[in-house]
Amino acid sequence: MSNKLFPITVTVNGVEYKREVEARLLLSDFLRHDLGLLGTHVGCEHGICGACTILFDGGAVRSCLIFAVQANGHEIRTVESLGTPENLHPLQQSFHEKHALQCGFCTPGFLMTLVPFLEENPHPSDDEIREAIDGNICRCTGYEKIVEAVQDAAAKNSQAK
Amino acid sequence: MTEKYFGKPIKRLEDKFMLTGNVKYVDDIEVPGQLHAAFLRSDYAHARILKIDASEALKRPGVVAVYTADDFGDFWKPGPLQVPPPTAIPGSQFNARTLVPIAKDKIRYSGEVLAVVIAESRYIAEDAFDDIIVDVDPLPAVVDLEKGWENTSVLVHDDLPSNMAALVKQEVGNYEEAKKNADVVISKRMLIEHVAAAAMENRGFIASWDERNQEMTIWAGTQSPLTIRGSVSRALGLAESQIHVITPYIGGGFGPKVMTSLADDVLLPWISKQLKRPIKWIEDRRENFLATTSERDQVHHCEIALKKDGTILGFKDVFYHNTGAYDSYGMTVPLNTQTHTISNYRIPNFYSEIRMVFTNQMVVTPVRGAGRSEGIFAMERMVDFAAKELGISPIELRKKNLLRVDELPLNTGVIGQDFVVNILDSGDYLGNYEKCLEVIDYEKFRKEIQPKARKEGKRVGIGVVAFTEGTAVGPYEGCRITVSTSGKVTMTSGYSTQGQAHQTVFAQIIADQLNVKIEDVRVITGDTNQFAWGAGTFASRGAALVGAATYLAAQKVRAKIFSTASKKLEVPEDELELCEGSVCVKGQPETTIPLGTLAALANPMRGVVEPGVEPGLEATAYYGPPHGSTGCGAMGVIVSIDEETCKPVIERMVMVDDCGTMINPLIVDGQLQGGISMGIGNTLYERLVYDENGQLVTASFMDYLMPLATDMPKKLDIVHNHAESSLKVNPLGIKGVGEAGAIPPGPAIVQALEDAFQDTKLEILESNLSPSQIYEYLKKA
Amino acid sequence: MKVEGEHLFKAPREVVYEMFNDPDALGAAVPGMQKMVKIDESHYEAVLGIRVGPVSANFSGNLTLTDEVPPESVTLIIEGKGGAGFVKGVGYVKFEDLGDQTTLLKYTGEANIGGTLASVGQRMIDSVAKSMFKTVFEKLDKILEERWQKN
Ligand code: FES
Ligand code: FES
Repeated sequence: MSNKLFPITVTVNGVEYKREVEARLLLSDFLRHDLGLLGTHVGCEHGICGACTILFDGGAVRSCLIFAVQANGHEIRTVESLGTPENLHPLQQSFHEKHALQCGFCTPGFLMTLVPFLEENPHPSDDEIREAIDGNICRCTGYEKIVEAVQDAAAKNSQAK
Repeated sequence: MTEKYFGKPIKRLEDKFMLTGNVKYVDDIEVPGQLHAAFLRSDYAHARILKIDASEALKRPGVVAVYTADDFGDFWKPGPLQVPPPTAIPGSQFNARTLVPIAKDKIRYSGEVLAVVIAESRYIAEDAFDDIIVDVDPLPAVVDLEKGWENTSVLVHDDLPSNMAALVKQEVGNYEEAKKNADVVISKRMLIEHVAAAAMENRGFIASWDERNQEMTIWAGTQSPLTIRGSVSRALGLAESQIHVITPYIGGGFGPKVMTSLADDVLLPWISKQLKRPIKWIEDRRENFLATTSERDQVHHCEIALKKDGTILGFKDVFYHNTGAYDSYGMTVPLNTQTHTISNYRIPNFYSEIRMVFTNQMVVTPVRGAGRSEGIFAMERMVDFAAKELGISPIELRKKNLLRVDELPLNTGVIGQDFVVNILDSGDYLGNYEKCLEVIDYEKFRKEIQPKARKEGKRVGIGVVAFTEGTAVGPYEGCRITVSTSGKVTMTSGYSTQGQAHQTVFAQIIADQLNVKIEDVRVITGDTNQFAWGAGTFASRGAALVGAATYLAAQKVRAKIFSTASKKLEVPEDELELCEGSVCVKGQPETTIPLGTLAALANPMRGVVEPGVEPGLEATAYYGPPHGSTGCGAMGVIVSIDEETCKPVIERMVMVDDCGTMINPLIVDGQLQGGISMGIGNTLYERLVYDENGQLVTASFMDYLMPLATDMPKKLDIVHNHAESSLKVNPLGIKGVGEAGAIPPGPAIVQALEDAFQDTKLEILESNLSPSQIYEYLKKA
Repeated sequence: MKVEGEHLFKAPREVVYEMFNDPDALGAAVPGMQKMVKIDESHYEAVLGIRVGPVSANFSGNLTLTDEVPPESVTLIIEGKGGAGFVKGVGYVKFEDLGDQTTLLKYTGEANIGGTLASVGQRMIDSVAKSMFKTVFEKLDKILEERWQKN
């Protein structure tokens, strides 16, 4: 295995990072361990659980299935770009109010899947929400309250408009 | 007490940090100078080790050290019996063969550790696997439970005459006698599948030896930090005060994270001490499937004896239980199965025999549901079969035999996982069941919905089952509550948290007892330097045991608050009351003294503290119940199934649950819903499959199918039916709820499936059904 | 895992049989074969790279020919291991002379696999094996064609 390093430039949550990485470094590992953005979680490293979901040029993708070098020149958003503990993003607020998280390990992946979903589909049905999160595994909640939380966020969003 | 918080759906205090990625799980912790460990694991399930040569690996740049069993010298030894077997069951046999941290001479399961590589990065550590030469002599594997029990030529442990790990017989009344009076006797063989806990976060462990201070700091995603502290202390010959175990945030537990004496918690502290560097290991998903404990996997041979009118005379169950290659966790799971089999119905004569078998698989320890699911499945299925045989509706047969309120508390005569005779403390078993029938509208389904669907050529069925959940077993838990001079309150306990909202629910109890804002209460769990007594997080016991201890400690602090204030204000205690964050004089709300001030007064820096008075507004309390509690309830499901695809859809589910007093109904519902999803997954999707050589062939989420959002019931109702406890085991009336949801979905769903095909001879004899298995069953029907 | 199948070669039985004793031919026919060396009359050493779904790895191992009844039948014993686990198999190969300078090869066999290959690749291994046999026979056909026609 050659340890040749490749220079990459990636914009993450609006900040441009220049780094040198090995070709085999996963984007999830790069975000977590090179940039210290620990909110992106790794549950399987084979693209099924969705815990590592991030936005890649605005679309939800699994960061464990992408190499860091492939992110060169692209724009990434992680859960850290949503809200802060003092000022939660509306979807985070709804997750809180509806008790849509327990251990919280899957949660960033759900949020990053749902943020673009709600932008595209601001008034989803329960079935549409279930379809949207069908690629994210949560072992704790049974998904019921996640669906409720999304409905809550959608309702509040339309009230606000 | 004022109940501003207790019993209310209070939103969680921990959420906002978790939601924003501002909490640390074990892999989020970076210790300066840390090295990474990777475990080379066996490809074979059963083999003799001829040679392991790691010398080439050491030459690889970035590799710091490689260890095989021999490198650990005398330090290598079989681990402790983490849970001993109960001594109180006469005639029971138990062969203790405890986990070894790394294979020496013989490999006993696929995934067993053969070598530990320590390197500058995990990537390099795994690269080095290719450099290690492993030479083994493969042996046939013990995989099948019944064959393994009989087999005396292929032995998991060569020094034993057979693969028997345990044999336990418990009898109440006399089954064989009772059988003679029966009109109907039915016997069946049933399989309970092997499933994984599959917490979303895998396990992880960091050991960091500080040579200068002679202290070991450990971060571990564990359900039992104090067990680890104890075992590391013993293994390394250190005082417990030299070891600090911290559980960071944990991404779900569900049972297996209670297991210790594995390669990580035994070997990494030793290696860290040798190398004087922090060592980090993060499990990957394949390792989690292969070498983290799992559960279920039983074969039941059941017999039920009844009168023509449906009265159950007796029940007999001889069951094989897979313990895996070692039995360090004793018999918790099969004992739970025994107690739960007899926990619902009036069964005057009961015989249950555990045949616990060593196999060439990873060790079996409790997973949410833990033995309960198996016992309930076996009994509920047999009641269904009996109903068919007798021509009585399964509903009526249940109603006839379910225990009634006035029959409780009931001593079942069966000894359980807590080593004492199981007592069904309280609950309205029949009432729960009737409530469930009512909410799911059983009559309407039978009279309208099902006939209509049949006319349209659709298959729908209904199943309604009863269950119990043994909870809140001892030995004890404890906590300490301290009021700071700032007025803020801290509670610490030895319990660790995997998402159960402990930071919120214990704060609710304290905030009410001390009349402070809930935001002013900080709950610290799972840090051995904060509180060092307790057994660990398991068996649905947190709310009941730590909750009770919290209540008791808060009462003590409250008493101290009043006595300190009374002295200061020179007003008798009975004229004082708690106002928010302070003590005030009744009728004179302007005369107040803040709790922070009282905390300072209770800890004077000069002068004299009276004899017998302990300083500070602080108290510690412990709570240990005389026996466990029993949650109970019923579940109804309506399932539709397409005959072409054989894919079942859960149209409707109703769960009636009695978990005792609820501290926070929002959290209780979350626990039940999560449990239900696991129960559904266990029944319709999840399955650990081992081939005949002991190879696990489902070691990824591509093959081990987890329940997803679209697999949940289209409509789910949870009804709380809390019967006032007839026996007050717990000071707060709490029973526990962690596992309830996972227990009844199996028997309910299979009953509904059979009902959907009631015109056929469909008879389901296992707990896990993929569409292709349903297809096979239907072909036979 | 059990394997079974047959293939019709357009060449006389002796020629086909001989080809099976020729490491160069076999080496060239098996996809991913990186090295194949004849140790003695009936033993070969080989390094093979295979890919099964998410698992790809090099295997090194031995191929032993036993019970040789030229040109009718031969038994193959394969043992290989590598970073992704191990494969052990035995294959029974029969060559039937159908006359007309054609030979029907029939094989049955059984393989044990272990390690990562089994734990995450099991689902795909049957189809991978099938496609591998297909490729092998196609290549052997070509090799035969060249050799047989040359002669
Ligand atoms: S970690 Fe990326 S999908 Fe599971
Ligand atoms: S909250 Fe634990 S996995 Fe979803």
